[in-house]
Amino acid sequence: MWSVVKSVLAALLGVQNDRQRQQDFSNGKPVAFIITAVVVTMMFVLLLAGIAIYAAG
Amino acid sequence: MRLPWQWLLTITSVASLSQAHASSWNMPVGVTDTSRNIFGLHMTIFWVCVVIGVIVFGVMFYSLFRYRHSKGAKAARFHEHTSVEVLWTAIPILILVGMAVPATATLKNMYDASEADLDIMITGQQWRWRYEYLGEDIAYTSNLSTTREQIRGESERDEHYLLDVDEPLVLPINRKVRFLMTSDDVIHSWWVPELAVKQDTIPGFINENWVQINEPGIYRGQCAELCGVNHGFMPIVVHAMEEAEFETWLEERKEAAEQEAMGVDREWAIEELMARGEEVYQSICSSCHQGEGQGAPPAFPALAGNEQLINELDWHLDRVINGVSGAAMPAFRNTLNPVEIAAVVTYTRNAWGNETGDTVQPATVAERIAQ
Repeated sequence: MWSVVKSVLAALLGVQNDRQRQQDFSNGKPVAFIITAVVVTMMFVLLLAGIAIYAAG
Repeated sequence: MRLPWQWLLTITSVASLSQAHASSWNMPVGVTDTSRNIFGLHMTIFWVCVVIGVIVFGVMFYSLFRYRHSKGAKAARFHEHTSVEVLWTAIPILILVGMAVPATATLKNMYDASEADLDIMITGQQWRWRYEYLGEDIAYTSNLSTTREQIRGESERDEHYLLDVDEPLVLPINRKVRFLMTSDDVIHSWWVPELAVKQDTIPGFINENWVQINEPGIYRGQCAELCGVNHGFMPIVVHAMEEAEFETWLEERKEAAEQEAMGVDREWAIEELMARGEEVYQSICSSCHQGEGQGAPPAFPALAGNEQLINELDWHLDRVINGVSGAAMPAFRNTLNPVEIAAVVTYTRNAWGNETGDTVQPATVAERIAQ
């Protein structure tokens, strides 16, 4: 689970090492990555919205 | 070949030259806190870019030179370096966020038009600006005052060629002035670089903007949205005054407006109407119908010798008051006051050989507008 989150965060930044990538492709399930990515993206959007609301308030 | 110190000399002389020309190459610093903030942001971000450029290109050119093929350099063969990659991703993020913070603060301030001391309605019209001091009963149009001779090249063009108007927008310094901006016809854009205001005026919309000017002076601008054939002939002039001087001006304008309102009720002589009418004609009508009423058919019909105009007073009055829908002729019911409409109609009915002998009284026009 943690390794999926780590890989999604790495994808968000755009940097990943080859060892982790090989591991994800051989062991991981696509659905887990997609769901985690959607959740992380939503959290990122909420974070930005929160900063914007705080700055405007 | 030049020696290093000669190069240095060249670079410093170019740099000092750019310093001397900075005002004509760069954006203006302006005369409001907002304009200064914008200029400061612009220069900060410019120098951030310069530093990044020097570092990136410095490393690149040094590596190209130092590790060149002729010196036996061999390319490294590695797949990745996570920490370096993270670093060069994180640094731009920090730089961008670092630039976004002051930029957002400035932007937020620019949009905050609340708690203004004075409200002015700015209306774009083909091809002039109308200024209305809300709550002060003062409204007037501001027209290009550059002469036709200069435009045609028949006389020498002065310093403020196409940047001069008959009636500038008069503003007090040190007071927050809110602009409510709209248009009567097409999209215009009210742009005065020194005030850091560039706002579209859109028919059916009211946009807001504001200024608080720090220094008295004359500031010039132009319409910045292509709005038709005379787009280049509707400049903006802002006259910023000390507050006391502004108050005096305001009182004078109010008095003049009152006098004008009183003028509606009295009977005007044809000579008075003709004199006033000529002024109005030259500042408002002549940009389309031309100086001698000869027009520019087919878009702008001739007024001199126009049979329908000469024979049908009612039709003529209606054209001026209500305009012609679907054509370039605007309605002047809200732009000109009854005295001005009566005068200009009387003038056009009696000038350039249109010898109808008709006079139109301001009271008649006021009645027509009220209908």
